Amino acid sequence: MAPSTEFPGNIFYALLFFAALAFFFYSVGVRFRLLARAQAVNRFTEPIKRAIGLVPFVLGNSRVARPYYWYSGLLHTLIFWGFIVLQVRTLNFLLNGVHEDASLQNLLGDVYTWLRPSMDAFNALVIVGVGMAAWQRFVWRPQRLTLNYDAWIILGLIAWLMVTDVMLNSGEIALERGGKDYTSFIAFGLANLWDRIGFSGTGLELFHVAFWYAHLVDFLVFLCYLPYSKHSHILTSVPNVAFRSLQPSGVLQPIGDFEKAESFGAGKLEQFNWKQLLDAYTCTECGRCTEACPASATGKVLSPKQVIVDIRHLMEEQIPPLAPWTKRPEQPTPLIDGVGFEPIWDCVTCGACMYECPVFIEHVPTIMDMRRYLVMEQANMPETAQATLMQLEQRGHPWRGAQLTRTTWIEELAAQSVEVPIFDGSQEYLYWVGCTGALQERNVKVTIALVRLLLEAGVNFGVLGAEEGCSGDPARRLGNEYLYQMQAQANIDTFKAKGVKKVIANCPHCFNIIKHEYPQLDGRFEVIHHTELLAQLMAEGKLQPQAGNGLKQKSITYHDPCYIARHNDLLEEPRQVVEATGAKLLEMGRCRRRTFCCGAGGAHMWVEENRGQRINHARTEEAAGTGADIIAVACPFCLQMFEEGVGSVAAAADREMQVLDVAELLEMSVALGQPAAEASTEPPIGESAT
Amino acid sequence: MPHIICCVKQVLDPETPASQFKVDEAAKKVLPAPGIAPVPSQFDTIAVEAALRVRDAVGDTSITIVSMGPDSYRDVIKHCLAMGADEGVHINDPALYEADHWLTAQALAAAIKKLPPVDIIICGRQAVDWDMGVVGSTIAELLGLPCVTIAKDIRYANNKVTVERVLLDGFETVEAPIPCLITVSNELGEPRYPQLRQIMMAARKEVQVWKAGDLGLDSPSNRVVLEKLYVPQTKVETEFIDGDTPEEKAEKLALRLREAKLI
Repeated sequence: MAPSTEFPGNIFYALLFFAALAFFFYSVGVRFRLLARAQAVNRFTEPIKRAIGLVPFVLGNSRVARPYYWYSGLLHTLIFWGFIVLQVRTLNFLLNGVHEDASLQNLLGDVYTWLRPSMDAFNALVIVGVGMAAWQRFVWRPQRLTLNYDAWIILGLIAWLMVTDVMLNSGEIALERGGKDYTSFIAFGLANLWDRIGFSGTGLELFHVAFWYAHLVDFLVFLCYLPYSKHSHILTSVPNVAFRSLQPSGVLQPIGDFEKAESFGAGKLEQFNWKQLLDAYTCTECGRCTEACPASATGKVLSPKQVIVDIRHLMEEQIPPLAPWTKRPEQPTPLIDGVGFEPIWDCVTCGACMYECPVFIEHVPTIMDMRRYLVMEQANMPETAQATLMQLEQRGHPWRGAQLTRTTWIEELAAQSVEVPIFDGSQEYLYWVGCTGALQERNVKVTIALVRLLLEAGVNFGVLGAEEGCSGDPARRLGNEYLYQMQAQANIDTFKAKGVKKVIANCPHCFNIIKHEYPQLDGRFEVIHHTELLAQLMAEGKLQPQAGNGLKQKSITYHDPCYIARHNDLLEEPRQVVEATGAKLLEMGRCRRRTFCCGAGGAHMWVEENRGQRINHARTEEAAGTGADIIAVACPFCLQMFEEGVGSVAAAADREMQVLDVAELLEMSVALGQPAAEASTEPPIGESAT
Repeated sequence: MPHIICCVKQVLDPETPASQFKVDEAAKKVLPAPGIAPVPSQFDTIAVEAALRVRDAVGDTSITIVSMGPDSYRDVIKHCLAMGADEGVHINDPALYEADHWLTAQALAAAIKKLPPVDIIICGRQAVDWDMGVVGSTIAELLGLPCVTIAKDIRYANNKVTVERVLLDGFETVEAPIPCLITVSNELGEPRYPQLRQIMMAARKEVQVWKAGDLGLDSPSNRVVLEKLYVPQTKVETEFIDGDTPEEKAEKLALRLREAKLI
C-alpha cells in the first residue's frame, strides 16, 4: 500500500530513487578513481582468512567494543546491528514502493514475520544508540572526538530514519490490519493508539503518505551524503577490514627496485597504495589512535588521526567540486605540506594507533612512506636524524662517540676467564648482540648477564664479534630504505656464509627486523628473543632461579617494549622470568599490547625530542606510580630511556628506582644457587642504591 | 658559468675509540684501527656544502672535487658527488701517499691548473687528522691567488666574493676578487645529506684518476721531516679529601689546592 505504486507517485518515486542512486554512484566513482590511480599492493592473499576476519571485526564489532571503550562500543553495536537488521525492512520498503506484491513480506512469509519483533526492537535500540552518541558528543565530549556538524547530520538522519520507519508502519497497520501485525510491537501499539484517539480516514492516510516519503527521502539523503562524510566508513570498513595487512604490525614493506622506482616513498597521494587511500575514507575520526599515541600524549604535533584526516582532505581536493562556486587550489596541495613535517618525524613507530584502530587503518606505514620521501627524495629531516644517518653510513652503528668496540665486552669477559664462543657454524644459535648491547656501557652489563645465563644453561651459541653490523632498523625507521637494504643484505650474506639458522636477539628492534623484515630480502632465519629463550630454559630446568637474593622483598613493574609486545605478542615470557625471581610483579595501567612507548622507537633513540614532555619521563612517571622498586625492561633502548628517566623524574628519583633488564634480574636469582665464581657482576639489589 | 673547485681529504675517523688509536712509533705511522672505516674530513664536506650554497644562490655553477690519496679516497669523492658536485678528480699515485702539506698543496695546485679555469677554490680550514691548516693557503700561494680563511658565509656576485670570516672575538666581512681561495669553518653549517637519486647517480659517475706524472710532478719529495710519532701518556692521580663535615672537607680541599699551587 505504498503511495508510489500508482500514478503519479510511481513517477515521483522512480525519479527520486534513480536520481539519488545516480548521484551516489557518481560520488563513489570519482573517489574510487583516486584509488585506481594509486600504487598496487596485493591484499588478496589468504581470502578465507580475510573473510573469516569479517565475522569478529565487522559483525562482532570486536575492535570497536573493547572494554575500555565500552560506551562507544555499545552505542556503535546498537546502531550497527540496527542497520543490519533493518536492512530487511528497508529492502521490503523499497520493493513495496515499486509494486504492492513485490515485498520481502510476501517472498519470505513467516521468516519475515519472525523478524518483525527484532526490527521494532532495533528501531528503539538505534534511537538509544543515537541518544548515547549525542550524549557523548554534547555532554561528555571526550577529547579524542572531533566535534563537528558532520556527526550531527548523520545522527539526525539516523534518528529520523527510525522515527519515520515506526510512524509509517503504524499508519500502515492502522489503515490495513493484518493477522500478525502485533509482531511489530511498537508500530502495532501506536496503531492501536491512533484507533483509540480516533485518528483515521484521510488524516491517517495523509499521515502515512507523509512519513512514507519522509522515510524514503531520509534514506536517499543518507545514502547520498555518505561519500561526503566521515561516515563513509559504512561503505568502506568492510573492504578495509577484508584487505587488512595480515603481517605483524611492526613490519614495513620494502621498496623493490631502486633503479626503477618512480618515487622513494610518498610525496604525492598517488604514490601511496590504494589501501592507504582506502584507509583515509574509512577513518571515522574516533580518535582512539591519537589517544593512545605517545607523541600526541606528550605534546608533540603528531596526531595519527589528523594524518589520516589530512590525507582524506587532500583527496577531496582532487575531486571535481559539486558546486560551481567551490574553490579548488590551482595546484593540488603537496602531500607533505598537507600533513606537515613535524607529525611525520614525531612518530616512534610504536604501533599503538594501529592496535587501537577499530577498522585496521595502517598509520605507521603511511607515515613512514612520507618519511622515506622526505629522507630519500628531499634529504629533509631533523638535524639529529641526519647526524644519525651519517653516523650509520660512516661507522655502521648509531652510537656516535662510542668508546667501546664490538669486542670490548668479549675481551672484558676473557680477562675474567669467561670464554665467549665465536660463531663458526657449528653452534646451534647465533647470539646477535646488537650495537647497543656491545657499545653502550650500561647495556654491556645486560649482554654479559645474558651470556653468563646462556653459558650456565649450556646453550650452544656463538657471537659474531667484530663481524656484526647494524641490523638496519635505525636506517629503515629513519626512512633511509636504501641504507637499510645495504646493511641488511650485508648481514644476511654473513649469516648465510656462516651457516646461521637460529638467532638469539635481545634487542626487540633487531629481533623484529631479522625475524620479519629480512625474509623480504630472502634472509630466512629462526629468531628468538632473549626473554623467550630464558623462559624456555627455565621451563626445561636448565636455569633454576632461586626466589630470594633480596628480590623477594622487592616489587617490579615490567615495561613491555613495543616491538616485542604489541608488534610480536611476546607478553607472558618476560613476566614468567620476572616472577621467577620471587619479586612482586606490579602492572602499569598501560601494559601488554596497550603498552606506552619509552620514546626511543622508530630510531628516536637518536632523534632530539624538543617539543612537549619527554616521552620517557611520562612513562617513568607511570612506572613510579605503581610503587615498584624496580623497572624491568627487555630492550636496550627502553633501558637507556628509563635510566635517564629515573634520574630526572622526581617521583622515581626520590625513591631511587632501579632499571634492570629481565636477563639481569634472572642472573641475580640464578647466580645465587651457584658457587661464588659465577656470582653476578651486579651488586645485589638494595645495596647498590647507596 | 662559475667554476668552483673543492679540495677534500679522507681521514682516520676522529671518533675512533681512544683504546683503538695506536701508532707504530718505529715506522712513525698511525695504525688504522681494525674495522673502523676512514671518513671524509668534516671541514672538507663543509667546503662542498659552501660550494653548493653558492650554486643554490646564483644557479648554474659547476663544482669539481679534487682529492689526493689512495684508492679509499674514491669514497670521499663519491660522497661529495652525491652531495651534488658535478665532477671528481682523484690524484692517486703511491709516490704521493706519504705527501706532506707542501707536496699535497703542489699536487692539488697542479691539478687545479690542469682543470678548466676556476673562479673559487674552497678548502676546509684544516684536515681533522693532523690539524695543520696550511694546505689551503699554500695552494693559494702557489697559484698566486688571494686567500680568505675560516669563512662562515660566502656570497658570490659581480665577479667578486663577499666572505664572512670567523674571528676569535666576532666576525668580519671581506671582499675578494675572483679567482680566489677560501677556507671554510664549521660555523658555515652542517653539510647536506645526499638525496638517494644523487647517490645513485654519483655511483655511476666516472672519477678521473691522475698520476703524479700527469701533474708534472716528476720527482715528488717532502719538505717536512717527521721526527717522532707517539701517543702522549697522560697520568691521572686521584686523591680523596676526608673530613667529618662538608665544611671541614672544603677547608682541607682548599688548603690542598693551594699547596698544589692551583689556587
